[in-house]
Amino acid sequence: MDLFLQYLVNGAVTGSTYVLVAVGLTLIFGILGVVNFAHGEFYMIGGYAGIFAVTAMNLPLLPAIVFVLAVAACVGLAAEAILHRPMKDRDATSSIVSSFGLAVALQNAALIVMGPQPQRLNLDASKMPLLSELPTEFGPVFLPHQRMLIPLTMVALIGALYAVLRYTWTGRSLRAMAQHSTVARLCGVRVDRVAMVTFATGAALAGIAGMLMSSVFLVYPIVGNMIALKAFTVVILGGMGNVIGAAVAGLLLGVIESLTSAYVSNSTRDIVGFVIVIGVLLFLPNGLFGKSVGRS
Amino acid sequence: MTRLSRRSFLTAAGVSLATPYIARAQSNAPIKVGGMLPMSGAASIEGRQVLLGLQFAVEEINAKGGLLDRKIELVIEDDESNSTKGVTAVRRLIERDKVPFIVGTYASAVVVAAVKVAAEYKVPMLSGGSTAAAGTDQNTPGDPWFFRSWPDSNKQGEDTAKAIVEKFKKTKVAIIHDNTNYGVTLADQVTRVVTAVGGVIVSRDSFNAGEQDFSSMLTKVRTLRPEAVYIGGWAGDGANIVRQAAEIGLRAQFVGSGSMLSDDFIKLAGPASEGFAVATVFEPSTPNPVGRAFADRFRARFNQDANTFSSIGFDSTSIGLEAMRRVGRPDGQEIQKMIRGGMKDFALAQGPAGTTAAFNEKGSVDFPDFIAVIKDGKRRLEV
Repeated sequence: MDLFLQYLVNGAVTGSTYVLVAVGLTLIFGILGVVNFAHGEFYMIGGYAGIFAVTAMNLPLLPAIVFVLAVAACVGLAAEAILHRPMKDRDATSSIVSSFGLAVALQNAALIVMGPQPQRLNLDASKMPLLSELPTEFGPVFLPHQRMLIPLTMVALIGALYAVLRYTWTGRSLRAMAQHSTVARLCGVRVDRVAMVTFATGAALAGIAGMLMSSVFLVYPIVGNMIALKAFTVVILGGMGNVIGAAVAGLLLGVIESLTSAYVSNSTRDIVGFVIVIGVLLFLPNGLFGKSVGRS
Repeated sequence: MTRLSRRSFLTAAGVSLATPYIARAQSNAPIKVGGMLPMSGAASIEGRQVLLGLQFAVEEINAKGGLLDRKIELVIEDDESNSTKGVTAVRRLIERDKVPFIVGTYASAVVVAAVKVAAEYKVPMLSGGSTAAAGTDQNTPGDPWFFRSWPDSNKQGEDTAKAIVEKFKKTKVAIIHDNTNYGVTLADQVTRVVTAVGGVIVSRDSFNAGEQDFSSMLTKVRTLRPEAVYIGGWAGDGANIVRQAAEIGLRAQFVGSGSMLSDDFIKLAGPASEGFAVATVFEPSTPNPVGRAFADRFRARFNQDANTFSSIGFDSTSIGLEAMRRVGRPDGQEIQKMIRGGMKDFALAQGPAGTTAAFNEKGSVDFPDFIAVIKDGKRRLEV
């Protein structure tokens, strides 16, 4: 039982990364209808940007996070200019195919610039103010500061995103676009700006996830492949375009994987998520939390 | 005044300029020897380390005046760890540069493809880092064209597994391996060897290569209280596992597969790599006096420590050059015969003191691997 709680927490930590990556993906899909297969590369770039900020620029944690957010957001803007702007009036397959191309291009660029060997971000979270005062043992559960940082950041960023979507003009225009882009445009929403904001936000969230995870795990040029697949799983589970659905489904997937490797076998952990996705697509095509109302 | 046409003047000038060179080409133009390594692509880091060994061996010979009264010239081809490129590279070295032997290469799959071509041309190859048993297993016993002057990966795995029980005295062993052919083969072998020498396998877990989160699996392994944990897989995954194990407080003797024999592994795993054990054929601190002398000379020349890769490149090249000296001419077929049987007195930098290039009929040299243990961020040989 003690271990069960530990497994839950382990799952919540990896689940938090899935949430950060998947929320951006679901935003881009929900608002712009772009299926972005290069999303995992935003994660990878975030990891390398973090290493650059901390080791080459010697930035402390918070400025480093800001730097990573900025770099990832710029990459997101560039991706928008490639994947969305020239293709928004074309068939959706065009942007899908070009997002594959972008993913391969970014991976190979990373291979040339950073090399194939995995790298790690040396970030000592246990020396950070505030965080270092928190305990690392909660009854039977042990959670090092390094890992604790991930769910905390996830909650803060997703909370902020939710507030922006709910209460600001930008958020309202994003949601209006998601509901009906023509009507949104008629009401004065600047569609091209919304597209840029969406891509920048999505990429920034994935970039932060990449940075935080590269201090716990490792970053290498093709690290984005698996994380993108996981994020797609989460997006489908949560219902395409559903932000809160993605947040819940991300945590759920993390926990399911953790329990699978603890109680079934570690080699099946990656299979479970995909099996569930196939089941969901067959029986609940709108996702676990999707509403079954068709768009007008 | 005799009129000299421009053409005949140029011809005469050309002949008079070229004559000394043509004459020299017949007598003492450098002898070209071949090197084939991954200079770009996935294994380029390892390839460049091996290359230093090749260059160092040739430099030393040339400093002593060369071989057979001629200088040695090393011709390097990049195979990019790609079998097709490797086959082309071998052809080019043999047809264009007429090399009598080739040192190469690092990737075993490329070796298997390339050595077929080299054998057709009667040019022997000496491993540039390839350790898989497949490299020497494809040789016709008794007539090998691919030579590897150290034990194959099977022997390495066996020595590692034995060390867990016999050297570290740990009998409860947990195995963690990736799902690649490499990881599964190693795990099977460790299971077999450990049980044969009186150990018990308490658990066996696998993961997908490149997986990032091992915390739940390791938490489960911890409850079984293993005395030793064997990891079979790539260095990056191994480093990740060792670090996460330290984080959750899984304390045991960690032992890894040959891929974790790199300084990158130590860098990635950080302090968690302390005490980690791995099999090796050479370290600068080797008790082998030939190896120690090589390490000292290498350090003086390159201002960096020699490692397994550079020692491999050095030994393979030295064997080829020495065999050519004993034969007396750059003839591939004769050199192959000499390496096969006539080098049993030639001391190597790798392996324990007294290791010589005594190739067995499959083209491999057998000696016990060292078990290195990481201490203060460096691999050390406990002898």
